[in-house]
Amino acid sequence: MSSKAQLRKHNRLKPYHGNGGKQHEEDETIDYKMVTFSLGGKDYAVDILDVKEIANLIGVTPVPNTPAYVAGVYNLRGEIISIVDLRIMFGLPAEERSSGEPRRGLILRLNDTIIGIIVDYVDQVVGVDSSRIQPPHPIFGDINIKYISGVVEKNERLYIVLDVERIFGRESQEAEARRRRSAETEGAELAGAPAEETHEAPESIVAQRAVEARNQHELDLIFIKEELTSLVQFYPSALNNDWLASRYEDWRKERTAAEREVQLACADDAHEFLAPFYSRDTGRFWSSGSAGMFREILPERLRNTITVWNPGAGKGFESYSLACLLKKVYPESTLKIWASDNDLLSISSAPNLVFREEEVPSTYHEFVVEGKNGYTLAGMIKDSVLFEYHDITHPNVVPEMDLIVARDVLSCLPPERQASVLDEFYDKLLEHGIVIVGDHETGLAPDRWERIDGSRIAAFRKRKQEKGA
Amino acid sequence: MRVEYINPFVEAAYNILREVMHGEIKRGELYLKSTSMPVLGVAAIIGLAGDVQGRVLVDMTKDTAIKVASTMLEGMEMEPLTHLNDMGKATITELANMITGQAVTKLHNLGFKFDLTPPAIFTGDNMEIADTGVEALIVPMILEHGKIEINVAIRERN
Repeated sequence: MSSKAQLRKHNRLKPYHGNGGKQHEEDETIDYKMVTFSLGGKDYAVDILDVKEIANLIGVTPVPNTPAYVAGVYNLRGEIISIVDLRIMFGLPAEERSSGEPRRGLILRLNDTIIGIIVDYVDQVVGVDSSRIQPPHPIFGDINIKYISGVVEKNERLYIVLDVERIFGRESQEAEARRRRSAETEGAELAGAPAEETHEAPESIVAQRAVEARNQHELDLIFIKEELTSLVQFYPSALNNDWLASRYEDWRKERTAAEREVQLACADDAHEFLAPFYSRDTGRFWSSGSAGMFREILPERLRNTITVWNPGAGKGFESYSLACLLKKVYPESTLKIWASDNDLLSISSAPNLVFREEEVPSTYHEFVVEGKNGYTLAGMIKDSVLFEYHDITHPNVVPEMDLIVARDVLSCLPPERQASVLDEFYDKLLEHGIVIVGDHETGLAPDRWERIDGSRIAAFRKRKQEKGA
Repeated sequence: MRVEYINPFVEAAYNILREVMHGEIKRGELYLKSTSMPVLGVAAIIGLAGDVQGRVLVDMTKDTAIKVASTMLEGMEMEPLTHLNDMGKATITELANMITGQAVTKLHNLGFKFDLTPPAIFTGDNMEIADTGVEALIVPMILEHGKIEINVAIRERN
């Protein structure tokens, strides 16, 4: 390790405390929030107001004849933005990466331009007192000093605050004016909360801290939501917001107790966060408890031919559980279940699902037969289910349905798709029909759907529409 | 598309191409498509009827079509092609017929009854195909001469 690097490490381990150290930390008002990230093992930060979102950059297209630090252009939901590799821009050794690998990045909004930067990993949101940001000193970081707006210590970590305006911003008059203004008010301008939140300073510090703490949590939750989308394609919406908010509370407590980061850094974190989301008995045969909850909401009688739509059928456990239950409840009726999934591997195994005897609850034993390779379902059950490799956002050619069972399917679709699929459910459902969504996807539009009284699963009926409405 | 239909088409495409072509054949990742999609340049189409309704499209670029047809003709000790003439078109049509025929035979053995329509071939630039109300399964086959896409759109007759 070079002596320069040692010096830097030394500085990081022994952060400097400004005037007053610990005691100051207790009194500080958080008025400057920044998104922190790691680059070459050091901690950097940018003003949260400059950050549009956190993104996993997949498929950055290189552009010829650009400086080496321009990684290329990227299609951000239809908008083409430039991507800068901060490691190269700041003269740090570039990491060996295969081209298909997603890159961690921040999307920054600078005046009218949107630009993406590639970093090693995005860390968390940190709130600090802007007056504690120290002017930069030449020994910090490998970055040209004019790009650093300061250095700040928080929780024994030293963050180098980058001036993104100066790095990427065009020398427009507006930017110049803004910079002058920020200099005059000593960062107060920059330090305000995000646009939709209050800009007025609360009267007492206590009140301000309460607001800040709440804002911090709201921000953490916003970032967690974005991470869920980018890491595991889970889309927060009105449907699952209630669950997300309560889950976030638990998650923050769990992670804080375990001294781990609240933010989601990788797909494993996201899966851990979502683990309690999935409905009961996902990916296995329904226990008699789950079957009982379904039984409760089923009407006395149904039509002679019962039609069921089961998107997101996965390996088929749900469709088969449903078939067995309906066969028991309505032995006289013919059963037709349209089961689909867009995961080819899972759905391919569904028609010939084989399992061990102990995987099947005793309630289904009458529908199970022993085959060559293990236990399988009897012909009468198998014949009632049609498994399709199908993407639910494509046209759905299904008849009108008595039952639609789509548990934990909608949350994997972007919000506008969720809405269009729900519209389709509404159209395809018979007047007496029932929709069952995931246990934690209960936020269906109340003007169109009403929850069935006393249902222990998320079962909804169509709300009768006024004529002409 | 019904899960049971997928494998017969994938296997038939692989088997037939391995039989008539030389060199390595790889299967690309299967996927679904529903919007109107571009056709690569030469497309043989075969309709399906019976328990189901739908069609199979065997799609490739003109360049790939000439090379594939040439290889098939050379295999029967005939002259290779320099451009896509009637012989070439007939050869590609036959390739589509062989693939679909074998797939339908496999499906027949599984208990699904399909009928085939005679194949037709389309050639041209900037062509698109749109199937309203039915999504297509794309089976890309990667040959040394280029890519052939087997595009299968079938739905159950309700």
